[in-house]
Amino acid sequence: MKDTDKIVVITDLRTEEAKSAAEYLSGLGYEIVTPPADVHLWKEEEIAAFAAPLKDRLYGVIHPAPPVTKGGILEVSEEDWERTSNEGAIAAFMVTKVFCTIFREKKGGVLIFLNSIHAEKPMGKGILYSLNCGAVDMLSREAAQDYSESGVNVYFVEKGITDPEVGKSDVSALYYGVDLRYPRRKMPEAGYLNGLLAFLLTDAAYPLTGQPITADAGLTGFYNQHRFKVEGREYFDFTKFRRK
Amino acid sequence: MISPNSEENRVALVTGSGKGVGAGVIRVLTRAGIKCCINCNTNRTMADQLLEEVQSYGGEAFIYQADVTDPAQRKGMVDAVIEHYGKLDILVNNAAMQPNKFIDQYTEESFRWLWNINIGGYFHMVRECLPYLKESPQGRIINLSSVHGKRPATFDAGYATTKGAIRQFTRELALELLSTGITVNAIDLGGCKIEFKTGKAQFQTFHPLELNNPSWKRPDLTVMPEEVGHLIYYLCSKEGKAINGHGVRIDNGLLLT
Repeated sequence: MKDTDKIVVITDLRTEEAKSAAEYLSGLGYEIVTPPADVHLWKEEEIAAFAAPLKDRLYGVIHPAPPVTKGGILEVSEEDWERTSNEGAIAAFMVTKVFCTIFREKKGGVLIFLNSIHAEKPMGKGILYSLNCGAVDMLSREAAQDYSESGVNVYFVEKGITDPEVGKSDVSALYYGVDLRYPRRKMPEAGYLNGLLAFLLTDAAYPLTGQPITADAGLTGFYNQHRFKVEGREYFDFTKFRRK
Repeated sequence: MISPNSEENRVALVTGSGKGVGAGVIRVLTRAGIKCCINCNTNRTMADQLLEEVQSYGGEAFIYQADVTDPAQRKGMVDAVIEHYGKLDILVNNAAMQPNKFIDQYTEESFRWLWNINIGGYFHMVRECLPYLKESPQGRIINLSSVHGKRPATFDAGYATTKGAIRQFTRELALELLSTGITVNAIDLGGCKIEFKTGKAQFQTFHPLELNNPSWKRPDLTVMPEEVGHLIYYLCSKEGKAINGHGVRIDNGLLLT
């Protein structure tokens, strides 16, 4: 696949997944463009001004979820509320409005929300992050309904946990022993979704539009409350698993 | 109705309860002996009528007029509940708006306004009430949501976005508060009979089953506000304590098709 004439916007390069995707897709020939640092993604005029010159060659947009904000309901601040709302649901809403309007005029385009399993699974200490993920999940389904008729495909990818530092975190019941909860018993690397993202940028992916795509490498398929025994042998025991 | 627990001494705050769904919840809870704070923002007349009705059958309630997006008014309301009844056991987050706009009809300002009411109001009310709910032996948080927190509405992306947020807000909160005994659930409500909606509908409703079968008799799938109240009453009862972090769909089967 070589797509040298096609621009893919990645709206936020702060996460390792986004950086890896930019490098990978660039290698496939897409021209990767990211907004300048002074563009606020929740301000419609600024996004529109950024998008306007790209319009002719604009092919796809990948909108990653912002970095995780941890904290329980009484631990987060009013500033956290404001920032996560801006970076989360409000930015996603305005990015959708601006870019899908362009795609509708062009009669084609792809919008991918590179989001998180926390749109489905709570972590117990990430109230602001998760509520924004849930919001963007429903936004993606709405956007698919609104724009697919015009040839616009909208995808919502629920990624797993790839950050080893996050995996060491003790904030979440979900994160405890996280690498062993993956069927492969190891945490995937940040770029594990690159192939999926490349696929979603193709027309062949359209059957996946409008519904969340759980691409967490099996993480949330794990039933956390059981200890397993295989042939009389203790196979996996969280109570014995401790990180140094 | 299920058997009463210790409702005589329980206290509930229901936001946006001067009319509509919230008023139905107030009727059920007060008839069960739960003391209630009726919260209204702009329509005081309807709240007054509701209070009069509640008092006519011996229910106990008071009205507090407050905008849930205003920090000072939120605090004033919770302080008033404590002043009136000395405790708080149940928070029902209900105050919400439904503008009925397509994505491209929203501006940043209008979406932010909706966000700050529909999820911001819920989030901040929990923060305000949580210290008191933690003292209750049977603390309950109920977040009114919608079937559009699970399935697109197609006529209001902003509304559905906020309902998706409520879904995850509910799950996160339930997990976070697991050790406190407070349960947190959402109500995924279908079409409900209320006095009036905040936004003008841009659609006509039909049932998919009637499209290919004109003789099929379309049932009334409208949910009554009091039916929502009965569900909430159950979730707030001792019998309902095992249901936690859930979005309970109440829609007369609307979402089955």
